Amino acid sequence: MSLQLVRIDDRLIHGQVVAVWLRTLSAKRIVIADDATARDEFLREVLTLAAPHGVPVEVLEVVEAAVRLIELAGVPEPVMVLVRSPRTVLRLRRAGVPIAVVDLGGLGAGPGRKRLHKTISLSPAELEELRELERLGTRVEIQIVADDRPIPLRDLDQGN
Amino acid sequence: MLRRLGLVGAALVPLGLIATLAPATALAADVAPQTAVAVDTGKITVGPGQAALIALGYYLSNSPWLFGLAYFTLFRPLVAGFFVGLILGDPAQGTLIGAAINVPYLGFISAGGSYPSDVPFAGWVGTTIALAGGLDPASAVAVAVPLGLLGILIFYGRMAVDSIFAHWADYFAEKGDITGVALMNVVPSQVFLFVISFVPVFALAWQGPDLVADWLNQTPLWFSNGLVIAGGILPALGIALTMRFIFRGSAIPYFFLGFILFTFTNGSMSLVVIAAIGLALAYLHLAFTGAGDPVAASAVPASGRKPESKPAAEPKVRLRRGDLLRSWATWTFFSHANYNYERLQGTGFAHAMTPIIRRLYTTPEEIQAALKRHLVFFNTEPNFGNVIHGTVIAMEEQRANGAAIDDDAINSVKSGLMGPLAGIGDSLSQSTIAPILLALGIGIAGGTASGGTIPTLAPGTTGNPLGAIVYIALVSVLIVSIGYVAWMQGYLRGRAFVTDLLRSGAIDRVIVGAGVLGNLVLGALAAKFVTVYLAPTVDVAGAKLNIQASILDPVFPGALALGVVMLTWWLLRRTSPLIVLALLLAFSIASALPLFGPGQRNAGDYSYEACTSTLLHPWSPCGEPPAPEAP
Repeated sequence: MSLQLVRIDDRLIHGQVVAVWLRTLSAKRIVIADDATARDEFLREVLTLAAPHGVPVEVLEVVEAAVRLIELAGVPEPVMVLVRSPRTVLRLRRAGVPIAVVDLGGLGAGPGRKRLHKTISLSPAELEELRELERLGTRVEIQIVADDRPIPLRDLDQGN
Repeated sequence: MLRRLGLVGAALVPLGLIATLAPATALAADVAPQTAVAVDTGKITVGPGQAALIALGYYLSNSPWLFGLAYFTLFRPLVAGFFVGLILGDPAQGTLIGAAINVPYLGFISAGGSYPSDVPFAGWVGTTIALAGGLDPASAVAVAVPLGLLGILIFYGRMAVDSIFAHWADYFAEKGDITGVALMNVVPSQVFLFVISFVPVFALAWQGPDLVADWLNQTPLWFSNGLVIAGGILPALGIALTMRFIFRGSAIPYFFLGFILFTFTNGSMSLVVIAAIGLALAYLHLAFTGAGDPVAASAVPASGRKPESKPAAEPKVRLRRGDLLRSWATWTFFSHANYNYERLQGTGFAHAMTPIIRRLYTTPEEIQAALKRHLVFFNTEPNFGNVIHGTVIAMEEQRANGAAIDDDAINSVKSGLMGPLAGIGDSLSQSTIAPILLALGIGIAGGTASGGTIPTLAPGTTGNPLGAIVYIALVSVLIVSIGYVAWMQGYLRGRAFVTDLLRSGAIDRVIVGAGVLGNLVLGALAAKFVTVYLAPTVDVAGAKLNIQASILDPVFPGALALGVVMLTWWLLRRTSPLIVLALLLAFSIASALPLFGPGQRNAGDYSYEACTSTLLHPWSPCGEPPAPEAP
């Protein structure tokens, strides 16, 4: 199991990810699964170049990412997976990607989203998608930076 | 207590003088340092006016009023210590204490609303308590670090409450009131921050020193010894935290080289000289490894985009240079004024756009739409990330002139770039520039001990305020320059600036080169500030030989300190900094327990009492116990 971290973060690669998470996990590769980003040539290039030297970044559409991640899950090289929304994780999970834990790392406030914990806000639909993931056997945790203790979603989700 | 009485008259005498007088009261010259542990250098009474200035300083270190530089200056204990020293009348000692408190926070990084410790609380309150209460720098560290954890409450309170003010800004945006939005970014959040910052720090600065000093006087001696031991070990945590960013790959040997350069010259090589060597080595390293060479054209698909094309028609409305500068200055001042969990820098972004909106849009509908467009969640590194603002401003200008740029286009630039640019920006500013310059400043501030011994945190060391001043000057120039260039280039060249810069490999070169320099300086700093003195002795031919002083150090000076640093670094890879902090504190205090009997021949004879530690001593060397006095 080398998908070290599957993280939902609407900023994808940023300071916490580069400065703290990558070091802590010693991840050797980043896979970003996001349809819109994968179709934007400019963003793809910026994300590829924004990661530290020697850490390759693959920016893929979700369908391609599922195939790639199933392949990567079988090799020992530690991989960090970044996505923007719970829906993407659900799609990956349903496509057969073995995801034991998903980490809510950053979901900014916006229309329809309600703040759950610190920098994590969720819409009712997103919350439902996360519950579905839990039913499929994927643990959902909130851990904004590597030094935080992970909080299981269940502790914050009072079912409303 | 006798020892304290003997030193009461020395309350205002510089510490260097105390150190030269101390041997007279000590039993032997080599145990002299032991006469000064925990509480001894005389107290300064903090008046209410001074306490108010200190509380104001703490508020300012989280405030927007210093042109965005508070986070890189007053926020850091090195700088806070200097100012507390000025306020209390001893800038040299203040800087030294601040430098010592800063070492555990060398690797501090706050990204995306995370905040592991309230560093300025530890700096401002810690230095005040230590300086006024007469603690030595090592005990100051052990007192300040828990204070830093306490202070996080202030940050949490602010992040939660400021979300409310973002909604007030929404209200003004709905009315198209530009000034209202600008005021909501600054006024309520700063009034609130001032109250929750000023009150607790004022109270602690005014009354805290006496409370802490009295409390330390009542604790058993081994406990205050333990605090001093912790003060020698906790710097390893800050060094190990910084190592997480720079101690890797081919830069690793430079860390050990820096450590050895310092120990083998008995600390006589100044940090400035070591930094100069580091610069030369960084140049050679880049030249020979080819790190940061431009990315080969084939490795990255050409984006095929030209700089944002200007509309062909004569523009209706143009931004002036003054608008750009005003917008940049507004952002630089107020990006974090209303930092909150819900939108992070969202209101700060809208505030920065106000000069642009004023120039470009005239109808209430346009103004309202523009304000609302920029009040959403936003977070990036506030200096390098300015490329985004520049780019967005150029897009707004084209839009106002009729180009087909919709909200989605603008939002996708903001949301797409804020992450990656924060990643690069944080790697540059927070985890490269700040710790390396701090290490340099702390090194200079650490000064030299009287009597030609290795400068450590031992009493008798005098601080050098220049350390704080050099740091402030260097960091301010660098950070403001990065912010300005990024802003203007973002406006002029847009996204092409990002790709050109990234492809050129310039940022990689800076980070790799700074990593070489940083490792060298960090290694030297580890040698300077991490101090461990083993207690156990072995009997060799009838003489008691200290294992460290007589056996380890002659082979490899500082081997134990290096071991502590490496062990801390190893622990940090496995568990969180808080747990490591608790482990180090508990271990330090436990190591001072006098498990093998009181070992006390003269009641109140401190110098011998201090040597009863089981495992570690507060100061070294701990000489032979004195012969009992003749009855």
